[in-house]
Amino acid sequence: MNRQDLEALRVPLIVLAATLLAATALVYFSGAVLDNAKQRLVTRDNDLKQARLRIQNAGEEKEMISRYLTGYQQLARVGFVGDEQRINWLDSLRIANEEARIFGVEYDISAQRPYAYASEFSPGQLLLQESVMHLRFRLLHEEDLPRFFDALASRGGGLYTIDQCTMRRVKTGEAEKTLQFQPNLTAECDLRWLTVKPAPPPEKKG
Amino acid sequence: MREKLLVCVSALQASVAYWRAGRIARLEHFSHDEQGLGEFRQFLAPYSNVPVYMMVDAVEEDYRFETLPHSFGPDRAQLVQRKLRQHYRNTPYIGGWLQGREGDKRRDDRYLFAALTNPDIPADWLKIINAQELPLGALYLLPMVSAGLLDKLQVKAPNILVAAQHTGGLRLTFFRGRQFRLSRLTRGDGSKSADPARLYSGEISNTRLYLHALRTATLDEHLTVLLLDRNDELEEVGEAITRDNPSLDSVRIGRAELSSRLGIDPQLLGSSPDVVYLQLLGLQTPAGNIAPATATVGYRRYRNRRAIYAACTCIGAAVAVWSGVNGWQAYGVNSQAADIAAQIGTQELQYQQITRQFPPAPTTGDNLKRAVEIAKAVRENARDPVPMMAVVSDALQASPTIVLRELGWKYGLTDIQKGVDSAAAAPAPVQAAPAPGVPPPSRHQSVYLSGEIRPFRGNYRGAIDTINVLAERLRGHPAVVDVHATKMPLNVSPTAALSGNTLDSTRSEASTAEFELIVVFKPRI
Repeated sequence: MNRQDLEALRVPLIVLAATLLAATALVYFSGAVLDNAKQRLVTRDNDLKQARLRIQNAGEEKEMISRYLTGYQQLARVGFVGDEQRINWLDSLRIANEEARIFGVEYDISAQRPYAYASEFSPGQLLLQESVMHLRFRLLHEEDLPRFFDALASRGGGLYTIDQCTMRRVKTGEAEKTLQFQPNLTAECDLRWLTVKPAPPPEKKG
Repeated sequence: MREKLLVCVSALQASVAYWRAGRIARLEHFSHDEQGLGEFRQFLAPYSNVPVYMMVDAVEEDYRFETLPHSFGPDRAQLVQRKLRQHYRNTPYIGGWLQGREGDKRRDDRYLFAALTNPDIPADWLKIINAQELPLGALYLLPMVSAGLLDKLQVKAPNILVAAQHTGGLRLTFFRGRQFRLSRLTRGDGSKSADPARLYSGEISNTRLYLHALRTATLDEHLTVLLLDRNDELEEVGEAITRDNPSLDSVRIGRAELSSRLGIDPQLLGSSPDVVYLQLLGLQTPAGNIAPATATVGYRRYRNRRAIYAACTCIGAAVAVWSGVNGWQAYGVNSQAADIAAQIGTQELQYQQITRQFPPAPTTGDNLKRAVEIAKAVRENARDPVPMMAVVSDALQASPTIVLRELGWKYGLTDIQKGVDSAAAAPAPVQAAPAPGVPPPSRHQSVYLSGEIRPFRGNYRGAIDTINVLAERLRGHPAVVDVHATKMPLNVSPTAALSGNTLDSTRSEASTAEFELIVVFKPRI
């Protein structure tokens, strides 16, 4: 086949290329439509199984609700279940400060995010979240630290864990001369305030 | 092929038929002069991309039968070309066809070579066809086309001589075993002759003599004469042939039979003797093309174009079927999914009816249980610094020369880092869910101690010993897994440079013996 033959076949070859392109696109598109339909069927099938299982386990569910509802409501009251209660936390801090008689507490609270160690607790459909609170305070004596945390825990302002603490001896000359009692130690601690709530249901497609 | 243009050219004229949907749709005759050629040009003008098949009915034709050594492939093609060039030097319209093989031991190949010896006959017509850019499919000698007659007319005899009146004269074509062997065109015209029987008998005898001379048939061999009588005027001729010569049979095919057997309109049949052959050429494409490759290049391109368009159609049809099947399957699957969705709805409704008997709860029973269990587990896993500080404090009781400056504590996956400001420390990354069956990594507690030896007075040995004793004491605690120093009063490592002044260390109050220790506790303590 020479150049002139090819030139004579230019239009048919363009039509062939266009046909092949269109054919490929159509095969791909129709395949995708079928795959989507199959995927949807699998999802629906699983949903049906779950729905049937739920009915089968309804008795168990009822027993579970009766057993755990009180505890759940108690946790909701202390602020572990539901949205964050930051005002409660700050109230608790203020009262713990007064009870432990320390020299005030500075705090920084980070934005809420998923709890770093959530996988240790298998939360299932629950969303376990944390807000890290960084505390800075001054102490007269090292025993003020456990006293402060005991006071904070006793307020029931929420559920928290202590991640880390550091105490440093105050250097001579750093103390404020206006105070009657001079702080001897500074302390910094990181706390994780935890909350849990049911995860929003995933958006159903199709 | 739904459309064709069929052209039968003789020295004096051309008959042109437009073939469409299996029959001749239009037939015209053009004389071989300026006017005829002009009309021919006008006739072709409306057609484009319609292939043209041409046959030539002329005296200037030649047929030769030869045996050649058996060969195949390119060797055969070269051999045939060589023979053709040897026989026919002055015409491009030549062809050679294998007819079979000899029955002897050598089994040589038998060939028919044919040529149109006067290439000028179709030249003017071909020029016009080329000018109109119509693809020439093939060019035949008319007798090669007439081979199809025997099948169509269902004449069964070993030796058949077809006799028919053509525009240019009386044509006699001989077939042996239904294979073309010879044809000759004579000047006589049966319709104008006073004694057509005599004319036919004479030409048949001449042909037999010619066949005998060529050793193609013997004179006493039985021969069936097939008279194509499209005007129903050769009845007496047929009878006379049989009567005069006992070794001849005569079969006359009249207009009605020709018309019915070949599927030609009787009126059309009466208009020209070429119609029979044009019809045959329309019905089938016979072997025997004598057009050179250069003349049919347009047709090859036309055929390639059609092949590509046919491929496009096939691809389109296949893809349409494929997509249709996919769409149909998708429709079926979607219907199934819709059925299942309806069932889910029913199940949900049933579940809601059941749950009306449940105590009112803000979430599912599983969520209630998990929330309570998580809270319990969080409390159980929580640690505070006091117990570990107590361990350190106990260890320091026995070392009064050690003054503690800083104490850090951490509960996490990694050990506490020296001098890390907890506020600046990056938040712990979210742990990925562990693989099923694999427990998540355990967190553990660690303590950072920073202090100094007082009084020091430059006694590095004593200071280091005191620190080592403290580390050893901590290491001895059952909860401790590791104690290591990150800073000592003096770095005695041979890999580091060391400099100082003994006077400074004894007199200066600034001289200190500082150290830092990391104490790592066992997990789950």
